[in-house]
Amino acid sequence: VRLTCVCVRACAGVVVAAALLVLGCASSGATARPLVGAAAAKQPLQTSRPYNIAHRGSNGELPEETAAAYMRAVDEGADFIEADIVATKDGHLVCFHDVTLDDTTDVADHKEFAARRRTLQVQWANVTGYFITDFTLAELKTLRVKQRWSFRDKSHDGTRISPIITFDEFIDIALNAKRVVGIYPEMKSPVFINQHVKWADGKKYEDKFIATLKKYGYGGKYMTKRWTERPVFIQSFAPTSLIYAADLTDSPKVFLIDDVTVRTEDTDQSYEEITSDEYLDYMREYVVGIGPWKDTVVPPTRDNTLTTPTDMVAMAHARGLQVHPYTYRNENRFLHYNFRQDPYAEYDYWLNDVGVDGLFTDFPASLRRFQDWTAAKN
Amino acid sequence: MDSLWHASVIVLVLLFIGGSDANPAARRHSQLDVNHKKQPLQTFRPYNIAHRGSNGEIPEETAAAYLRAIDEGTDFIETDILASEDGHLICFHDVTLDNTTDIASRTEFAGRKRTYEVQGVNMTGWFTVDFTLRELKSLRVKQRFSFRDQQYNGKYNILTFDEFILIALHADRVVGIYPEIKNPIFINQHVKWSGGKKFEDKFVETLLKYGYKGKYMSEDWLMKPLFIQSFAPTSLIYISNITNAPKLLLIDETTVPTQDTNQSYYEITSNGYLAFIRKYVIGIGPWKDTIIPPENNHLGPATDLVARAHALNLQVHPYTFRNENSYLHFNFHQDPYAEYEYWLREIGVDALFTDFTGSLHKYLEWTAPHQNKEKKCRGPPA
Repeated sequence: VRLTCVCVRACAGVVVAAALLVLGCASSGATARPLVGAAAAKQPLQTSRPYNIAHRGSNGELPEETAAAYMRAVDEGADFIEADIVATKDGHLVCFHDVTLDDTTDVADHKEFAARRRTLQVQWANVTGYFITDFTLAELKTLRVKQRWSFRDKSHDGTRISPIITFDEFIDIALNAKRVVGIYPEMKSPVFINQHVKWADGKKYEDKFIATLKKYGYGGKYMTKRWTERPVFIQSFAPTSLIYAADLTDSPKVFLIDDVTVRTEDTDQSYEEITSDEYLDYMREYVVGIGPWKDTVVPPTRDNTLTTPTDMVAMAHARGLQVHPYTYRNENRFLHYNFRQDPYAEYDYWLNDVGVDGLFTDFPASLRRFQDWTAAKN
Repeated sequence: MDSLWHASVIVLVLLFIGGSDANPAARRHSQLDVNHKKQPLQTFRPYNIAHRGSNGEIPEETAAAYLRAIDEGTDFIETDILASEDGHLICFHDVTLDNTTDIASRTEFAGRKRTYEVQGVNMTGWFTVDFTLRELKSLRVKQRFSFRDQQYNGKYNILTFDEFILIALHADRVVGIYPEIKNPIFINQHVKWSGGKKFEDKFVETLLKYGYKGKYMSEDWLMKPLFIQSFAPTSLIYISNITNAPKLLLIDETTVPTQDTNQSYYEITSNGYLAFIRKYVIGIGPWKDTIIPPENNHLGPATDLVARAHALNLQVHPYTFRNENSYLHFNFHQDPYAEYEYWLREIGVDALFTDFTGSLHKYLEWTAPHQNKEKKCRGPPA
């Protein structure tokens, strides 16, 4: 295990250095300077205002879940960097959102992998593509990540800035930051992963996930000294994974809640069921918060305006559960008209009117600016 | 006829004030009440100009769009002045009614579609100059962009220049106006006024009627702040004889020559020309992408236009700043506040025309709420 640590750290160092180098070349114009002073001492995590969670890193600007996206998020003042953890064919944990490589990598350009395209069932739907669980880590490292959205900056696609990184490398980015930066990893698609990836020692995905965190010293209940030195939230849509993990670690966990039509991957429960009083009372034993899709908390009309908020936040807060909704994006197609195409108006509403405890955002720089500029007013 | 329109706009104004976010307990005073001291125009930080009113939210150049802009804290409400067939001055941006009104569904006007040459290009549509004011008033304005809120389509009508001015004067703080002498060549070709007057004369006459006068930063000006803008230098030079109110020369894309003097962008932004026009205007209003031309949706190297303008004591008021990401170069990571910050702090311009005056106001309030000791010099009084 120790040898692995050293090796991984060295590799991570190379990844980080490469990212730094390319970031220096890639950024242009006066707006690329960091918002947080690079020479600052190791400043603690702020806990006095809602958390700024860099969803997949600063992926509004750089391809998601790459070292560059995470380092940009750290530069921009995020409180937490967030990642989705999935597994490779040979059992390595990597940061990647989709179970398929199609939308965010150049896998389609790699003729050597052409035969690997196939159809598998993922959460009761058939999905066709290149599945990450069919590739070894070494093979994945030959791919390049690209910006998912056509309307975002694609100038970094396919450059050396953007290989897929491992869970270890992600953690290293947080720990190497000049201030305390928390991590917010997700146990992603655990049912699918455990179906397709087997570990020689009989351990399963959740075991490997928690073991990685422990290896780097993550542990301790929310707001203990140990936790504030290495802040972490473990998130998942799968309640049984969270409950299982609760036996292995006392690190705080957050229960993610999908759209009203989506059932849980592991327990096949409906939205109504998992947001009921009884269920929240039950989950409260295992998690410190919930992470709902924002449009289920305050549903929009078909004309893209907000309707009356549901009582979800009140129900959660009454049980001492934090609420960290997802996802906040600057582009106007993601903004309801009440916010007049202004992402800061959306932050204002959610933080000050609805009163949630953290926001998953693709644009941590914008959220940081909003919070800093309005700090005096609050 | 005039009094009917004035009464209707006053009723509309009062109705909207009733529904606004402003403190309902505050008594409503207007500039018409000389005994009341209104909160003055701020002059310590760049001007927030509500381009066509708060048209990011509400259909452009309507009473509602202007009232929303005032509610949101704008310094100036901006408008384009054109004319109707019977010589009334109206607030409207396009020479045709097609894109921002329900004209296409008005069967009674179906036969009025025309093709005219406008600035050297043939355009087909329903032209404002072919409709009387009464006919124009029967139309309803709609939101120009499909990606903006459509819920107010069909609710509001076209305003006259008089009504626009009254909205500003009725605000309970000093709100400036920023009207444009729009398409003067075209208007003067198609609309004739009695007494040998032309479009520019009627434009200034309207301003004088409401007491707008005085050089930039004079006492008169501060009570009724005004900038007159136009793409046509001869119109600005012409009106210099009838008003000393501050004027701005608008500058279009690099490929577009002036409609009146047929001069190129490069000519009118040369040092020689700027020194010449400085006798008549206190500033320029360029399209922002000509100041800093973009490359692949990233900012390219900045030109020296701002520096040269400032060296001649010309203010720079670029247009137009919009929140939607399709209008934001990638340097700003889809964040309109990053764009404000860059233009106001890095480039250092003196005002911004924005479709989202509420957002700009927030930015200014959060980052420059008070005047500090070292006042930014914005150019001398004209």
